[in-house]
Amino acid sequence: MKIAVCVKQVPAKDAPLHIAPDGTWIRETDISFEMNEPDSYALEEALRLKEKHGGEVVAISLGPERAKQTLKEALAKGADRAIHIADEEFYRLDPLAAAQALARALEPERCDLVLTGLQSDDHGFGQTGVLLAELLGLPHATIIMSIEVQDGSLRLKRELEAGWFQWIELPLPALLTIQSGINKVRYATLKGIMAAKKKEIRTIPRTELLPSLAPTQKLERIYVPEKTKKTEFLQGPPKEVAAKLLEKLKHEARVLGSS
Amino acid sequence: MKPAERERLDADVLIVGAGPAGLACALRLAQLIHANREAAATAGLSAENIYVLEKAREIGAHQLSGAILDPRALRELLPEFERTAVAGVSDTPVREDAVYFLTEKRAWKFPITPPPLRNHGNYVVSLNRLAKWLAERVEQAGINLFTQFAGAELIWENEGIAGVITEDKGVDKNGRPKANYTPGYELRARVTVLAEGPRGSLTKTLVRRYGLDGLNPQVYGLGIKELWEVPAGRISPGFVAHTMGWPLGTRIYGGGWIYGLQQNRISLGLVVALEYPDPQFDPHEAFQKFKTHPLVRRLLEGGTLVRYGAKTLPYGGWYSMPRPYVDGGLIIGDSASLLNAQRLKGIHTGMKSGMLAAETIFEALCAGDTSAKALSAFQKKIEQSWIRQELWPVRNFHQAFHGGLWSGLLHSALQMLTGGRGLRDPWRTRPGHEAYQRLDGRGSPPPRFKGDGRLTFDRLTDVYHSGTRHEEDQPCHLIVADPNICVTRCTTEYGNPCEYFCPAAVYEMTEERGERRLKINASNCVHCKTCDIMDPYEIITWVPPEGGGGPNYEGM
Ligand SMILES: Cc1cc2nc3c(=O)[nH]c(=O)nc-3n(C[C@H](O)[C@H](O)[C@H](O)COP(=O)(O)OP(=O)(O)OC[C@H]3O[C@@H](n4cnc5c(N)ncnc54)[C@H](O)[C@@H]3O)c2cc1C
Ligand SMILES: Cc1cc2nc3c(=O)[nH]c(=O)nc-3n(C[C@H](O)[C@H](O)[C@H](O)COP(=O)(O)OP(=O)(O)OC[C@H]3O[C@@H](n4cnc5c(N)ncnc54)[C@H](O)[C@@H]3O)c2cc1C
Ligand code: SF4
Repeated sequence: MKIAVCVKQVPAKDAPLHIAPDGTWIRETDISFEMNEPDSYALEEALRLKEKHGGEVVAISLGPERAKQTLKEALAKGADRAIHIADEEFYRLDPLAAAQALARALEPERCDLVLTGLQSDDHGFGQTGVLLAELLGLPHATIIMSIEVQDGSLRLKRELEAGWFQWIELPLPALLTIQSGINKVRYATLKGIMAAKKKEIRTIPRTELLPSLAPTQKLERIYVPEKTKKTEFLQGPPKEVAAKLLEKLKHEARVLGSS
Repeated sequence: MKPAERERLDADVLIVGAGPAGLACALRLAQLIHANREAAATAGLSAENIYVLEKAREIGAHQLSGAILDPRALRELLPEFERTAVAGVSDTPVREDAVYFLTEKRAWKFPITPPPLRNHGNYVVSLNRLAKWLAERVEQAGINLFTQFAGAELIWENEGIAGVITEDKGVDKNGRPKANYTPGYELRARVTVLAEGPRGSLTKTLVRRYGLDGLNPQVYGLGIKELWEVPAGRISPGFVAHTMGWPLGTRIYGGGWIYGLQQNRISLGLVVALEYPDPQFDPHEAFQKFKTHPLVRRLLEGGTLVRYGAKTLPYGGWYSMPRPYVDGGLIIGDSASLLNAQRLKGIHTGMKSGMLAAETIFEALCAGDTSAKALSAFQKKIEQSWIRQELWPVRNFHQAFHGGLWSGLLHSALQMLTGGRGLRDPWRTRPGHEAYQRLDGRGSPPPRFKGDGRLTFDRLTDVYHSGTRHEEDQPCHLIVADPNICVTRCTTEYGNPCEYFCPAAVYEMTEERGERRLKINASNCVHCKTCDIMDPYEIITWVPPEGGGGPNYEGM
């Protein structure tokens, strides 16, 4: 089985974030980056499937130079090779453009299975995976919690709301978006880290795959939720305070009728 | 865990800790192998067979320093750096020095900057960035750098060591293996170099086992730092100031720093000697107060906190230096007490010690003899190098301040005139926690500092800004030998100093159903090692948590 895993590099969860001066993205100078959490589960799932059914795991990431670090991590954990779609301005891409670039790089690979995370911890569109499936002409299923491969087809468990699950079947080849917690992610081993140095990371400039950048959507502004909570102390003799309180409950909080 | 289940790897050289000392050692080794190919080949030495372990998530994540870099060692290691790569190393050259004596409301500027605090020709750096920059070069040279792996135990052999066992991964909080359990490796090496920084957990066991202590026990300072971004025009890049006095007064040794960085950044902090008498003294609170001094407030107001962190540094100097060699092992950098307390600088001496260790190791491996006798050449190299020239004249410096700031300044002036001898030589010290004065039930606990949320912060807000993260489901890495002492003797005798000295609010005395108990919020730990140093009964032992856990000192 040839499996591709899309891994995105996102700001580390511990990073105190600051908004960049242009107001449409965060400032990247003071933070470190790590593999998007659902993607690390997708990678683990790919490695387990390979261990069970044989084949190859290809990790692919679209991002700036630093994204290579995430690919190295994937290689250290056991991916066989990696593709880096290099784009210093990748944060300006919308999910459709990202999916287009990924699709063009993956088309010639003719994978049996493509895994992505459910959504990314930074933008959280949750769309790249399903768009990619469409572009590659593959059937897809989302929010996957378990994968079984049975003679050329997949038996899958999807997570629904409120503790409900759904079992479905899908033919191969297919694309799945993986939910965090599907497995227990392994640690990189010393031997794995050493072996990763000898594995291939092929770099393709994004402009080679997708020459023009014509996003179909654009981020207007990101901002810290504005606080609207307000605490007010009413002072004075109890009788006055009670009257003021009644006023406020009627006209400001509007929890009492004002008749 | 039976050793038989562990995977074993054999290295030529194993370096524990990727700080400036460990990285300089690795790079110098690679240079020597490269320059002496035949000799290296005959000895079977290769860069691929040199391993560096670092417990942090990525290189530099546990590096916190002021920092002013004296470029002396880096110039010797990479003579080209100022011409080709100074931007990768330095934030800004030092442009202006100042020293202030502070009272609560006023600042007195010293008319001249005392020579040890003159920094012309030095660079203001982020040690986090410098470590990353060095690590890139180490990796390019073919050396294996392993982040997220800690040396958990030493492998004992002969009168020394033969490597380390790395920490077990995937163990739950009750010590049971989880689904992704991965036993630690048995990493053997012909020479193991301990470059763990101050109060190394392996170094501590090594020094104790073989009685390697120097003349004096090691004494420490705790440095608390914040990185700020402030409105333009508050401070010029390269302006560096050091302060004495308030809020520490003249009885507690220590002082503040304020360094102007590029892009309207300020590095500021307070170093406090961990040998103060009041067991309920709170260094974090002292630092917060420091920011409210008019001199500092003026710079910060309207700005934002970018990062927070805390780390110890060894003050003991030459007389606290442990014997730095055993069979198959060397100790370098802060772990070997090579910081110059008078100049508050240990990066350059640490790097130089790493380079000298590399030269010693290369010779030893070529000669096929890595015994303590062969490795003792390291100590001789230190003694013949500028490390001794720099540290010997200040061998009694820190001790001179035992009597307070004024007598300290007087003694150190005298020492300067007598080549370091002064009135007492060697001037003996005792471990810092022995300075505590017992409370014996006197007084109620002081109220905790809350901060205003803009200029000053409580410890939890600060910890959030340290980027600290640990796997939650793992055994506690702060081992309290007898928690009973905490709720009985310690409460009455010392009032639980752990609640005060820890800059990350890890220790908390709680009451549950009428019973007092010590609660340890281990996930907050920023790996400063203060608890290992300052608990009055020496019952707290810091051991490395699962690799990758700890702070993230990006840009610090
Ligand atoms: C377990 C789980 C957890 C989730 N958690 C979150 C969360 O924390 N935050 C969050 O924002 N979202 C969350 N979601 C996603 C959210 O609940 C919706 O599922 C999602 O936003 C809908 O988009 P979809 O792409 O899944 O489309 P679909 O479920 O396919 O439907 C999308 C929409 O298409 C239209 N549509 C579909 N079929 C027809 C039809 N026959 N005729 C007319 N219109 C039709 C309807 O307007 C429908 O609402 C979660 C979903 C799940 C299952
Ligand atoms: C607040 C403060 C301000 C300072 N200011 C200056 C200054 O202005 N100029 C200056 O020159 N010096 C300064 N210093 C001192 C300087 O930072 C140190 O001397 C220097 O960092 C020592 O280098 P090192 O490599 O010996 O140790 P460290 O830099 O401490 O590096 C040790 C590394 O080893 C890792 N490690 C430890 N134990 C293990 C283990 N068991 N397994 C795996 N990894 C491990 C740690 O995570 C760490 O990354 C300052 C120090 C402090 C605390
Ligand atoms: S628990 Fe100990 S090592 Fe950790 S932050 Fe607190 S004092 Fe420092």
